[in-house]
Amino acid sequence: MGVDTILTDGIVPAQVRRRPESLLQVDQLSIDIATRDANVRLVDNVSFGIGRGERVALVGESGSGKSVTAQALMRLNSRVKLSGRVQFDGTDLLSLSPRQMTAMRGQRMGMVFQDPMSSLDPLMTIGDQVAETLRIRGVSKREARQRALDVLDELKVERAAERLDSFPHEFSGGMRQRVVLAMALVGEPHLLIADEPTTALDVRVQERVLDLLDEISRRRSLAVLLITHDLGIVAGFADRVMVMYSGRIVEENEATLLFAEPQHPYTRGLLEAVPRADITVDRLRSISGAPPAPAARPSGCTFHPRCDHAMAVCTSVEPGETITPLGARVRCHLYGEG
Amino acid sequence: MAYLRLISQRLVMTVLTLWGLATLVFIMIKLIPGDEAQVAAGPGASPEQVASVAKRLGLDLPVLQQYLNFLLRMLRGDLGTSVVSSKPVLTELAAVLPSTIELMILASIIGTVIAFPMALVAATYRGKAFDGITRIIAVTGGAMPAFWLALMLQFFFGNVWRITPISGQHSFGISSPNVTGMPTLDALLAGDMVGFLDAMAYLILPAIVFAIPFAAQVFRLLRASLLGVLASDMMLPVRAKGASTSRMVLRHALPNSLLPTVSLMGVLIGGMVGGAILVETVFARRGVGSFLANSVALKDTYAVLGAVMFVGIAVCLVNLVADIITLMLDPRIRGAQFRAGAK
Repeated sequence: MGVDTILTDGIVPAQVRRRPESLLQVDQLSIDIATRDANVRLVDNVSFGIGRGERVALVGESGSGKSVTAQALMRLNSRVKLSGRVQFDGTDLLSLSPRQMTAMRGQRMGMVFQDPMSSLDPLMTIGDQVAETLRIRGVSKREARQRALDVLDELKVERAAERLDSFPHEFSGGMRQRVVLAMALVGEPHLLIADEPTTALDVRVQERVLDLLDEISRRRSLAVLLITHDLGIVAGFADRVMVMYSGRIVEENEATLLFAEPQHPYTRGLLEAVPRADITVDRLRSISGAPPAPAARPSGCTFHPRCDHAMAVCTSVEPGETITPLGARVRCHLYGEG
Repeated sequence: MAYLRLISQRLVMTVLTLWGLATLVFIMIKLIPGDEAQVAAGPGASPEQVASVAKRLGLDLPVLQQYLNFLLRMLRGDLGTSVVSSKPVLTELAAVLPSTIELMILASIIGTVIAFPMALVAATYRGKAFDGITRIIAVTGGAMPAFWLALMLQFFFGNVWRITPISGQHSFGISSPNVTGMPTLDALLAGDMVGFLDAMAYLILPAIVFAIPFAAQVFRLLRASLLGVLASDMMLPVRAKGASTSRMVLRHALPNSLLPTVSLMGVLIGGMVGGAILVETVFARRGVGSFLANSVALKDTYAVLGAVMFVGIAVCLVNLVADIITLMLDPRIRGAQFRAGAK
């Protein structure tokens, strides 16, 4: 319990902890998709906030609803039905008309996607694709090109000036991801949503892209929502971490605390499954079973069939949100009201 | 080099196709019942005359030798001599070709002007009323047989409403000096607006007969590929940039859909040369198609085979041009050439 004491001693209670001014506030966001037979709830009553300049990670297995949530923030997927509230910079995004929403995208919020190989238009030059974000807003051709060049330079794309007129196929995966980043950053957004931005890249390129993202977010005090399944890349990057399981956020805390003192059995399981260089283990722990399909969620706590600590109550009652003394926001009966 | 290599590959394929076609035509000549020399010499020729014609045409040589001679003649552009007119088939074809080209050009323009906007709007408003209606129109248009369509157009436009002439090339007495062989272009060159409108009136119905199935097919493919591109991963970042739907369609989906569409248009325009046999006959127009039909009616074997060869060459060339345009539209291939040049 040594580590616990060191970390818990002197922790400022969550209620009085200094939080940056709010930029994005998501309240009771639910995402439904209508299939042929039924309405399926992909994301269920999710609430969270992101402050200005804050870096938040949303972690979960594939199918947990994290990408759907990310796309919902920009209302990119028109086939899903969104309910709840998404306040961004004082505007409720869900009440905007499609035209007003189009104006928000690119300018106030930018987004980066998983696969840089398929994220770019193969028939358009790099320069035009980066400048397009600005051209849409009526920035002159010349100025848009100059600003595209500045961003590519900022992202350390070598010989950017010569390569503005190159096509995507002439770039490597890492370079393409920088171009995709540049498309999102050139409009100088306040919030960058990065949906698995490094998953398709090899490890060393991953690291470089993350370092760049880190550097730029600091310099521009840009808020970042990093969506990933890889806790390894979250550790050095995020201020705060949210863990998503089967369409719900099951735990949220400051990154250092979440890694040191994971509360929810699912978070613990995820952390034990990350290979570490500092500890030798015979066999890496894993969470048995697979996450449920959104159409067939178990009753009560959706994690109970895979949970080592499952109790009778877990099978029938959905756990509410509890704030632990460490400041973690948890949905688990282990930390129930009692 | 990828670029040049691909083009030379296409060229080699075209040459091989034409060689195959020439061989087929040669076999057809040999298989047609009746003595070639007898046909060439005419029905009333004496046995001595037939023998001398056979010698002159090299028909007494071994078949392989004849085949090589035939290929050499084709290479020189000698498609044989018409028995009916005693003129080289090529000369006759050259005289009627511009009229067919004029028809094909107008048909392609009309078809493209109909298909592209329809496909763009249908893809933008997928699943909406306009999309449904245009798809029904496209299926109907694509299913109409050309001969029926031609007769219906003649009946309604030419007979019932009397908007256009029923058949022919131009009205009696309205004819500009023959420069290009295309009545509309000749009239324009002569600065004769009346002549131009007159020739246009004759041209419009046959062009529509070609344009409708052309538009239907182009519409279907273009709409499908636009929707494919719009649903691809590529469009999410574009949407996230704040692009409007029309920008997504026009600036990203359309260029990416152009590649398969241009290929299809090449095939369809090539096919029009074959369709001209029917359309030009129904509308009594000069052209490669009606020449072929007439030659068949007159049992002019060499003219028929020469025209078949000619149509084959035309189809191959149109497809080759479409292939090259497709290659040039794609920077992944185009760029490969520039980089090779820079090294």
